[in-house]
Amino acid sequence: MNEYDEKWEDRINALLDGELSATDTELLKTAAEDDHDLARAIIEAYQLQQAMEAVRVERAPASLRKRLREIPRQHRSAPFFGLLQPRWVMAFAAIPLVVIAVSLMRPSTPSASEIAEARLELAIAFTYLEKAKVITGREIESSVGQTMADAVTDSVNRVIKSPSLTSKEKEA
Amino acid sequence: MSRKYRQWVKDYQDQAWTVARYILKDAQEAEDATQEAFVKLWNNQNNIDPERIQSWLMKVTRNGCLDRLRRRRDNVEFDESYMTGDVSGPMQDVEANETRAWLKRAIAGLKEPYRSLVVLRDVNQHSYEEVAGMLELNLAQVKTYLHRARKQLRKQLAEVRP
Repeated sequence: MNEYDEKWEDRINALLDGELSATDTELLKTAAEDDHDLARAIIEAYQLQQAMEAVRVERAPASLRKRLREIPRQHRSAPFFGLLQPRWVMAFAAIPLVVIAVSLMRPSTPSASEIAEARLELAIAFTYLEKAKVITGREIESSVGQTMADAVTDSVNRVIKSPSLTSKEKEA
Repeated sequence: MSRKYRQWVKDYQDQAWTVARYILKDAQEAEDATQEAFVKLWNNQNNIDPERIQSWLMKVTRNGCLDRLRRRRDNVEFDESYMTGDVSGPMQDVEANETRAWLKRAIAGLKEPYRSLVVLRDVNQHSYEEVAGMLELNLAQVKTYLHRARKQLRKQLAEVRP
């Protein structure tokens, strides 16, 4: 064909596809009358199209048809088994590791409940201490007299009334 | 759900098989590739636009075939039995059968994407727009490549049928 090859190619294909307008079809015919190569190209294109008519979609073999029909039965549990894929197994295995890592990374500041628990334990301890003070006072009183007993109990009272703050209480 | 799938199998199994057969040129591998594509369709049926099932399936089939071609370490021998076809029968049919067998061989011998374009457009009869979607090309590219492929086939045909 000549230098207008590509232009004619588009029109030849459009003609075969039934997409060439009547005007362009006439133009193509006129051009083919004077251009032997173009005329031959059109004839060859028609020959190819005719040959193509014989090459059609092929029927899938029976073995494949059977295999395709069985897919729903074989893959019914696909969503569940999908979770057994290595990536999901890895993801599930990583969960406890992440929980441990997060717990280790937590700051050591005591929570409000821990402080409340500590205060309760401290109050119980003071109660026991108060009882011990009374008992000790009675014993001293019975053995050395009231004056000595007062001196001892007063010093104990001072300690109880101004206890040293615990480290947790200071942080709170 | 299964009923829908059965309908898709009925409608598209031959087209998908044809695409796989031309690209892979090996019947057993083409069956495997087609089955693989339908398994993907079954597993992804809820994620695919129902209007685009056919395009999606052809694209997945073709991509699966091209992956298989890439994985082939050595060239598989050309399956002459398939491409030659059955040439027995009445005399008038012999020439037609020979031409058909020759053309199949010529199409299978095209390079990608020309081969897929000819199979999808000229054999499977999809529209240009559908082919463009399947091959992820624009319409102009589809027409240009297809015209080149047809021209190549035309010249080969002229050589065997002077």
